[in-house]
Amino acid sequence: MSAPTLAIDNLDLSFKGLLSRTQVLHGVTLTVEPGERVALVGESGSGKSVLARLVLGLLQDQRGVEVSGRIDFAGTELDQLSRTARRALRGRDMSMIFQDPTSSLNPMFTIGNQFHEVLQRRKPNLGSDQAHDTARSWLDRVAIPDTDRVLASYPFQLSGGMNQRVMIAMALANNPSLLLADEPGTALDVTVQAQTLELMRKLAEDVGTAVLFISHNLGVVREFADRVYVIHRGHIVESGQTADVFGNPGHPYTRALLAAIPRITGEGIPDLPEQIDLSHPPVHHNTGSADHG
Amino acid sequence: MADSVLSAHGLGKTFQVGKRHVVALADIDLSLRRGECLAVVGESGSGKSTLANLILGVHTPTTGEIHLDNAALPAERQLTHRKRIQLVQQNPLSALNPKRSVRASLRLALDIHGIGTPQSRHDRVNSLLSDVGLDPALADRRPAALSGGQRQRVAIARALAPQADVIVLDEPTSALDVLVQARVLALLNTLRAQHTLSYLFITHDLAVVRNVADRVAVFENGRLVELQTTSDLFSCPKADCTQRLLAAVPVVSPSELALRDALSKRNDHDEP
Repeated sequence: MSAPTLAIDNLDLSFKGLLSRTQVLHGVTLTVEPGERVALVGESGSGKSVLARLVLGLLQDQRGVEVSGRIDFAGTELDQLSRTARRALRGRDMSMIFQDPTSSLNPMFTIGNQFHEVLQRRKPNLGSDQAHDTARSWLDRVAIPDTDRVLASYPFQLSGGMNQRVMIAMALANNPSLLLADEPGTALDVTVQAQTLELMRKLAEDVGTAVLFISHNLGVVREFADRVYVIHRGHIVESGQTADVFGNPGHPYTRALLAAIPRITGEGIPDLPEQIDLSHPPVHHNTGSADHG
Repeated sequence: MADSVLSAHGLGKTFQVGKRHVVALADIDLSLRRGECLAVVGESGSGKSTLANLILGVHTPTTGEIHLDNAALPAERQLTHRKRIQLVQQNPLSALNPKRSVRASLRLALDIHGIGTPQSRHDRVNSLLSDVGLDPALADRRPAALSGGQRQRVAIARALAPQADVIVLDEPTSALDVLVQARVLALLNTLRAQHTLSYLFITHDLAVVRNVADRVAVFENGRLVELQTTSDLFSCPKADCTQRLLAAVPVVSPSELALRDALSKRNDHDEP
């Protein structure tokens, strides 16, 4: 079996302030196999989004950031790569969908322009006509109507949901081997969200794109992910196959997260305990595929 | 209807965009009963927010009327009307003034609507905060120094401040973490009973609707396509749009999955 697409080993992250030091990630270990869909679930402040930024290499060079541990992308340790080599990976071999589409798109350029730029990361000599055609077919796939008008529009002329779908299309257009998706559905309608997840799932199967899906909502994750990691305050508290984590949640925090989701069967608003036992040791269901020699 | 606190009669709104006329809402007849939680669901662009804006008086209707206690509301709302219909928005960080402390924000609502005497308002702020489950010690903080759930509680307290009887909740929990969402929903339920509030609960999350709403109004392309009690809607959804929304609800338990499948299968048979 080939090397995992993403292997994170014992990753620590701290932010150093003037007087204090805040540890954000505590020995996080996580793998994503080629073509696998893995979800990382936690509340705001759990460290799930900074983890994605570390994988992209967007955080390491900032002042006050201390990182230890190791991140491997397709068998290469990322810290060994030059800045240029890392930069070349982004947008081509690994791409990211951020939470807020309006701040991720450049307000000064049309969607068509930005799409062209993205496609050129894979094919530097791509002409604008070809880029236009490719972009159009990708916008079709994310259920955007009237693609020519959208390509000629600026981000502010489109709705938030529309921008989010544009972002998704751009992130997938270069057939990356790893897609980091940070709550991509939050700005979308439930129906569009379902379509988007379906599209991401299909793509992962078609081209072997592995997906690390970051979300605060276990409900969204269940139908999407093969495996799930639950993160709380920078600690992985539970991991395993999706069916095991949902069928037999072992950690009190995972149980609370599951209980908190309103059910369409109508059990009423859940009555949550004020205190959750966080001293409970992490629960790792026997995952099989995750255990790598 | 005798027990209706707020009602829409032939309500419609058309926006002019350049030379085009865009019908955002057409022919809406709807009533909100006293003490009821009426959910308004639909996809983006279905007219949910336009309905909220018309009810709040942000926009004036193109056609039709809105009645409060069976009296038509004028196009220019008076303070007494505004006082009775309040709003809680999706994102409390943008709804609250970042430069005002919690106390100042709540105090302003009391001052504007002339609730109590100036002396009693200090105590009133504290009691509002404890109503929404916040420690009055947080009153001197600014929104940035609060968590997302605490901020939303402040926004709810501000909506309660003028002693409103109708609260428009525009996706009040969709920006919150699930654990916080569950607590805020429980709070909203308690407050509704305590203060005999009527909620117009705008959302696209049908799982939330199932557990908080008495009735559900489904909107599609500016029209009201279905209005049922919550239990009827979840046993026998009629409109295509409702079925689409139901099919897209993320589910976590096998019993939910079975229900969702049953609803969509039943509908497959119904179709010719």
